[in-house]
Amino acid sequence: MEFSYEVKDSYAEVKADGRLNMVSAPKLREFVTDVIAGASNRIVVNLENTAFMDSSGLGALIGCLKAARQAGGDLRIAAVQPQVKMVLQLTSMDKVLTAYGSAEEAFSDD
Amino acid sequence: MVSPPEPRRAVVIEDDPDIRGLLVRVLVKQGFDVTEAGAGLSGVEEVRRRKPDLVTLDLNLPDIDGLEVCKQLRQFSDAFIVMLTARADELDKLTGLDNGADEYISKPFSPRELQSRINALFRRRPSAAADSAARSDLERATEVQQSLLPKEDIRVEGYDVAGMFRPSRSVGGDFYDWYQTPDGLHLTFADAMGKGMGAALIAATVRAVMRSTGHRQDLDGAFASASKAIATDLDSSNSFVTLFHARLHAASGTVSFVDAGHGLALHVRSGGAAERLPSAGPPVGAWAGTEWPQSNLELAPGDSLVVVSDGVLDVFESVEDFTDAVRSATQSQESAQAASSAILALAPAETAEDDVTVVVVRRLPEEAAG
Repeated sequence: MEFSYEVKDSYAEVKADGRLNMVSAPKLREFVTDVIAGASNRIVVNLENTAFMDSSGLGALIGCLKAARQAGGDLRIAAVQPQVKMVLQLTSMDKVLTAYGSAEEAFSDD
Repeated sequence: MVSPPEPRRAVVIEDDPDIRGLLVRVLVKQGFDVTEAGAGLSGVEEVRRRKPDLVTLDLNLPDIDGLEVCKQLRQFSDAFIVMLTARADELDKLTGLDNGADEYISKPFSPRELQSRINALFRRRPSAAADSAARSDLERATEVQQSLLPKEDIRVEGYDVAGMFRPSRSVGGDFYDWYQTPDGLHLTFADAMGKGMGAALIAATVRAVMRSTGHRQDLDGAFASASKAIATDLDSSNSFVTLFHARLHAASGTVSFVDAGHGLALHVRSGGAAERLPSAGPPVGAWAGTEWPQSNLELAPGDSLVVVSDGVLDVFESVEDFTDAVRSATQSQESAQAASSAILALAPAETAEDDVTVVVVRRLPEEAAG
């Protein structure tokens, strides 16, 4: 899995490309924590190229959300693909991790 | 009930068809279940798909070179990688580098040499310090996980109850537990995040906590206090557990249940539709301040309650396809045991990445119940 980020006007966009599983989950966590510490506490994780996520991947997203909130910001997810959406719905985590159509929309309301 | 583990798997990545054929034959003879790829990229995909214990990798491939393939494989696979090269002069250079391969063999090679090197690799695994720790972690995790399953069959008058569990090689955090009560039975079905010893220990905690609240009459109260205890334990490990807990009142067929982030329990009606029971909230430990209201369903004679782990879901395109396949597997079988086997078979051992677990509680049709 490959990570990258880009600082936008009011948030930082993190891209996570590949499979978000037990191997890559701790790396995502570390990557996002660094972005929160160094760039912005408002994070959009763009999941456009994340075709698969398992429970460890979900755990990483939750961990990143907690970290962003603790830093006084927020974390939102965008461009969620079908399998990831299914995991979020089954686990009722879609109520906690709000999904937006695109990274641009995620923080457009505030 | 536990199914036996699968045989060792190997993937051969080699562009020369003759050498490929030879490698396949040698490995099959050694008891491996072998698949092959003729190029680097297709080889990486094959390893991703098959999750082999061993990969043989040619250094000179038509698309990307063997070292790059090795690098990519190491990002997701801990298989032994044996690298083959036709250039003897490269061998010294290669072995001096830490490029992720476990063994190097120059071509032409003798089948006997290859065999003995591979045997040595598999013998050596326990002695390498890191591997040894990981391996014994896995073995202990397996023991913990097996110890969580109910030891005895359960007999509730008017019902047929069965459960099956097939561990993956990496040991997930699945388990189910049941016990008889004066009214019927209590059932717990859980999946802890992650794999290995961590997940197995969390599963063990969940089982103990859920059993300790079994005497409480009100399900909501029992679940609230159980989830609180579990969440406290989970907090330090940054983990969570999906948890389905049900109580059956046998005489009436009423099932009261709470679903924390599992979402894969089905009410399969006799000869009719299947209804998936949506989860009432996130998994336990995932999000502070969560409450999970209980729900009820009525099992009519011939109906089944079926709870399945996400290891089965993973082989389907959508939840709808999954629901339909589980419904049909349940309805086509006479007993809860046979239905469990049929559902387990939906996720073939060679493609399943995760543990696979299923529990079927069937209310017997009236004539059979007498």
